[in-house]
Parts: sequence; C-alpha cells; structure tokens
Amino acid sequence: MSAIDAAAPSVPPQAPAPPGTSGGFGVARFLGSERSFFGLLARGAIFLIVTLGIYRFWLATDVRRFLWGNTEVAGDNLEYSGTARELLLGFLMAIALLAPIYALFAIASLVSDWIGGVSGIAGLVLLALLGQFAIYRARRYRLTRTVYRGIRLYQTGSAWRFAILSALWFCISVLTLGLAWPWAQASLERFKMRHTFYGDLGGRFVGSGGRLFLRGVVLWVIVIVPFVAGSAIAVALVDWPALVKIVSEGGAGMWERIESSNENVGGAVVFALAAIVWLVLSAALLYPMFRAIALRWWISGLRLGEMSATSRLRSGQIYRIYLRFLGYAFLFALAAVVLAVLAAFVVGALPAAFKETPAGELASGMIFLGTYVLIALGYSTIYQSTITIRFWRLSFETVDLAGLCELENVRASGAASSAFGEGLADALDVGGL
Amino acid sequence: MNVSGSGIFFDGKSSERRIVTIVLDGQSLIVKQGEQAAPLAVWPYDALEQVASPDGMLRLALHGSASLARIEVRDPALARAIDDLSIPVDRSGLTSRRSRRKVVVWSMAAMASLLLMAVFGIPYMATALTPLVPYAVEMKLGQAVDRQARAMFGNDEPSRPLECGMGSGEKAGAAAFRRLVGRLEAAAALPMPLSVTVIRKNEANAVALPGGHVYVFKGLIDKAENADEVAGVLAHEIGHVAHRDGTRTVLQGAGLSFLFGMVLGDFVGGGAVVIGAKTVLQMAYSREVEAAADRYGIDLMQKAGGDGRALGVILDRIAGAIEPGFKVLLNHPATKERVAFIMRTARPAAGAAILDASDWAALKTICGKD
Repeated sequence: MSAIDAAAPSVPPQAPAPPGTSGGFGVARFLGSERSFFGLLARGAIFLIVTLGIYRFWLATDVRRFLWGNTEVAGDNLEYSGTARELLLGFLMAIALLAPIYALFAIASLVSDWIGGVSGIAGLVLLALLGQFAIYRARRYRLTRTVYRGIRLYQTGSAWRFAILSALWFCISVLTLGLAWPWAQASLERFKMRHTFYGDLGGRFVGSGGRLFLRGVVLWVIVIVPFVAGSAIAVALVDWPALVKIVSEGGAGMWERIESSNENVGGAVVFALAAIVWLVLSAALLYPMFRAIALRWWISGLRLGEMSATSRLRSGQIYRIYLRFLGYAFLFALAAVVLAVLAAFVVGALPAAFKETPAGELASGMIFLGTYVLIALGYSTIYQSTITIRFWRLSFETVDLAGLCELENVRASGAASSAFGEGLADALDVGGL
Repeated sequence: MNVSGSGIFFDGKSSERRIVTIVLDGQSLIVKQGEQAAPLAVWPYDALEQVASPDGMLRLALHGSASLARIEVRDPALARAIDDLSIPVDRSGLTSRRSRRKVVVWSMAAMASLLLMAVFGIPYMATALTPLVPYAVEMKLGQAVDRQARAMFGNDEPSRPLECGMGSGEKAGAAAFRRLVGRLEAAAALPMPLSVTVIRKNEANAVALPGGHVYVFKGLIDKAENADEVAGVLAHEIGHVAHRDGTRTVLQGAGLSFLFGMVLGDFVGGGAVVIGAKTVLQMAYSREVEAAADRYGIDLMQKAGGDGRALGVILDRIAGAIEPGFKVLLNHPATKERVAFIMRTARPAAGAAILDASDWAALKTICGKD
C-alpha cells in the first residue's frame, strides 16, 4: 500500500482557535508523525556511519522535505524543492574556496613570527566573517527552495553587509555581558526580513529590542548578577600580592603557605565555586523559559505584506519538550554505558600478539572511535526527534495568522540560488545542515 | 475511456489556488477548470515529475521547467491512474530508493579509498616529499614547532627556568653535556646544526622536533645509571633528526588534517573523530620510524665509541616503571621488542665509557642539586 492510499482528511479538523477572535485568523499546523520522523533519522544515522558523513546531504534534504511537506498553512502544504545533489555541489564549491585560504595561512604562519601572528588573527576574523556570510547565504538557499502554492520565497541583500553587522553586534553583546543581545537580535532580524520575499510580497520584522529586553532582563538578573557578585566577593577576599608572590615561588606545600598568608582564601574559594554553580544551575533551569520568550517574541514580530503573526507559545510547553528529551537522553545514556563496556571488552579480548601489530592498534583504535560515533549520533538522533520536531510543531501550532487574504493572489518573483552558502556553512561548522 | 478526477492546480505565476478537473487522455494529463474550453495546462506523462509531498498527496511538477507550477492530487484512485500511465511517476518510492542505494554504495567506496589513502598514501607521500623540503625551510618550521612545544611542555619546577644548565650550580653539568653532544654530533655529521636542551620535566623522556631541536627531560638523566645510557637516547633522537622524522610528521599531519578535516567535513562529533583518527594513524605510522631511529642510534653510538646496548638497557628500565602520561620516546607497547632488537644487534662497548667519571658526575647536576 502506498502512502497516498492512506488519504489524509481533506477537511482540516477544527484547529485551536484563540478565544475571542473570529474570522481573519488562519490556521497553521504540522501533520508529520513523530514515529516516521524518528525512522528517517535512525536510518540516516546508520547511513552516516557507513559513508563516514557523506550521507549528511541526503539526510538533511530528507529532514527538510519531511518538515516542510507536513506543514500546512491556510490549507496548503509547504514544499521543500532542494536536492542533496545541490548541497553536495555547494560543499565542493566551499572546499575549492577554503582549501587555498587554509594553505595560505598555514604557509604564512611559517614565514616569520610577526607575519604568522598577524595572519593568525586576520585568519580568525576572516573565518568568523565567512561563517556569518555563510549563515546568511544558507538562509537564502533554504528560502529559495521553499515553495508554497507554486511560488517560491527568496532573499536579497548583501551577505557581507550582514556578516559585518552581525560581527559588530556580537562584539557589543559580549562587551555588555549580553544586555545588548535583544537589540542585536532585533537589528539582525530586521535586516533578514527586510530582504525576505514571498513572490511580490515583502517581509518585515517589527519586534522591538526594548520589548525583548524588558521580558528577558529578569532572567539576566537572576543568572548574571549573583554570579558577578559572588566573583567580586571572591576577588576582594584574596590578598593578591601575597598570593602572586607564593605562586611565583612555587615548590611544595604551596597551598599551606597560601592559607597561612591569606586567611580569607578559603572563603574566596567558596564564593567563587558558589558563583559558578549558580551560573550553571540557574542558566540550565531558566534556559527553556528564555527560549520560549525569544521564540514568542520572534514569531510575533514577523510580517509578510499585511499579514501578521502572533504567537501563543507558553514557557510550560517548552519545559515539557526539554524534560521529554532529558528522559530519553537518560535512557540512552544507560544504553551508551553498556555499549562502551562492550567495546572495551571486545578490545580487551583481542589477542595480545595481534594488538601489538600496527593493524591491531588501528583496529582497536577504530573500535573505540566507532563506539564514540555511535553514541554521538544516537544523541543527535534523540535531540532531533524530540526537540527539533516539537519546536517546529509548536511554532506552527501556537501561531495566529491575521490577514491571510494577502496570500490569495501573490505574483511569482525571484530565482533559485546556489547552495554555496550551505556548503560553506557546513565546511566551517557553523550549522546549516 | 478517459479517467478524470479533481485536484488542485497552481500555475506558478500567481498563488491562486484553483480547484480543477484532471483528465487523463492517451498522452497527457489535462488540467481544466469549470466549464472553460481551453485547458489550464497539458502535461505529457513523460514530462511529469513527482516532487516532495506529505503522505496522502501526489504532487506533480513539469520536468525541466523553471516554473514552479504544481498539480496536487489527493484522490487515491486518480493518483494510482497517473502512476500507471506515467513512467517517471513512482509512488512506491522504488526509483528513489534505488538511487539512494547507489549514493550509499558510492560513498562507501569513496570512504574506503580515502582510508586507504590515509593509511598508505599519506605516509608514502610524506616520505617522498620530505627530502625535497630545503633545510632552510625545515629550520623555519623547527622554530615554529619549537615555540609551540615549549609552551606545551610546561615546567615541573615553575620557580626555576625551564632550561637546565643556566644556574650557577649547573654550569659544570652543562659543560659535560656539551662535550657529550659534541662527540655524538661530530660522529653524526648532520647537514644542520643540532640544538640540544635539557629541561625540567620529571618524566623520563626525550623529544626530537624538526630543525634539529632535541629536548632531553631531567627525569631521563635522573633514571640513567651511566653516560652511555643518556648518549644512547640522544643518538636515537639524533636518528630522528637525521631522518627528518619531525618534518615528515608535520607533513603527515597536514595531509591527514586536509583529508579528514576538509574532505569529510563535519557531521555530529566529527571534530573529535578527526582528532582520534589522526592520533591512531600517526601512532601506526610511528612504529617503523622508531625502529629506524633505533638502528641509527646503535650505529652512531658505535661510531662515537660508546656502548650501543645502553639504549636498550635504559629503555628496559624505563618501561619497567612506566609512569602515567604520554611518552614520546615510549609511545609504543612494543618496547620489549625494541629492546630485544637492540640487544641482538648492538655490539658491547669496545673501550671506555663515553664520558669519564667526573664528567658523568657533573652531568648528573645539570639541573642543580635537589
């Protein structure tokens, strides 16, 4: 029986409509089955192993086809029209560009200290910019491969300008300990959406950095302020000149000497540890809430022509997604321990004479590497089949779309772009696939 | 008789959603709307292309067309009829599974050839390229590697300088050490100057870097029972310098980085896999290299008038008391085999020890007295 015989309902069931609204609000929903998504990912993980990663272009394409294809907006499904072949070609193009650049920097580092140092810094800056360039271009590729009602989305705008803007905002965000992050997001989102089109319908982003700041600043205060305060107390408690003197002398019994010359050092260590524990613990506990705030703000800021989106996403829903992931991750951890023990047992059981030959060393090394890859891929599969798909589903199911009549008569525009950006993002490990 | 049914048509020019009647005639699929006489589209069966769609829907495009015109069919009977009539349309997914299988098989073949390249091709190429690297370039490379290595070693006695032989109580030891190195260097007649340094590391070990930089760790001198044992280890390291093993290792590392880092790209955990695979492969490469350095060391010791077996003796002693930590000198489980080979091949010392008793006593104090 083919998939099509299991006909989907042609009349959508009543979608969750927000109370107190009538008419003008459209429906977005996700119909994909999580079980078949998991099957797709698990099969992909096996192929990834046997092809040592080359299969990732096909897996990424399958995943997108699944997510796009099962997403329905106002009664029609999205279509992902990209192919794995395009992604592979984009990756090869990126290699052709990056290989000579890497070679040049490698040679420069050998020429002299001075040139090596300067070129090392220049190389890092260039790679960071290239990474942002790639992210923007990859977005362009994905948009131009998104077809809805026979018309594609597309993106204009200079990727270099985006890369510089993004780098500047990154520096400002770091310097303000993250306080400028909301404005950075708003600015970058405005740039992206201003250059985003569905046919002749132009996008905009109206979310304000100030509003996101007001919503999120409480989280920032809870996480960062105690950390900074604890660290500051720890720093103040230490008698630094004495400490530096003892450490530079070195030798045995250093800790005893530090304790005797620096009576508050024990307290300083306690405060420093408490600050770090607080940072990690509070960040982990509040992270889902942060994600919920940012996602709700982002979706509610999206505009396409006169069409607008409002998100009804609640933090509790995001917490539930992460808890579910943690549950599966714990179960998998048990399996991973068994797997690792098994691998150690297999290597231990190899005959000693074989193990001492180069082939034997290679074999036992490969067994451990293979086990590691298996575990890493297992986690990635669990992550995608619990978190990625639920975030996707939730984003669409909690959105109210107003002004859907905008979508009725859009004129086609824009052309398909190459997958170079995706390839570059892949080669530079800045995500994308 | 023509089959017909209903579907949805998007013309690729506007987003208008048209509910249409689809008629299947002898050669083509015809899209009609309402009572209009002129069809909206006539697509030949051979030119149909099945594109990505959710379960329960057959979505068709016109093959080779830049337009994104789409026909969507949800009626199972109509979809089955189209599938029967059109060769490119294959709802069972057999065609796509077959092409997918091809991808997997060819990727596996590509990976196998890459692995063969990593295990055999790269060491061979590195060996062939190493003699072509000018000594001047190797010296430059040596300086760069030397800087990194010094930073990596760390100092086990942070209150004193990393290098031994500079302090007031260490001068006599440094002079004795220079005499020992001078004797070996004269016998070796290397094409580039050696730079041998004793450093404050408690591990019993020694390292040769590209460009003639050799580091002997304090721990090795502490463990040695006579000057010939130190000289034996030095001769082994000079073997690495003469064979330009450091340069070859750098070339191999670059080749492997390129192969695994760039060609494979990164999938989940790929970065760690690349590092792991590099370490495993380089360890496999190094076995033959160590044996060659042993042979060279035995020869050199005999030329310099020392005891060729001393290297075996000290290797055996160190291996008997392995301390935790990565040993460059002994990074192989086959130490026993190496010791046996050295004992078998080397002749016992012909004459006196390589340093006289007073010089040996001085050398022991090159890192000061404890």
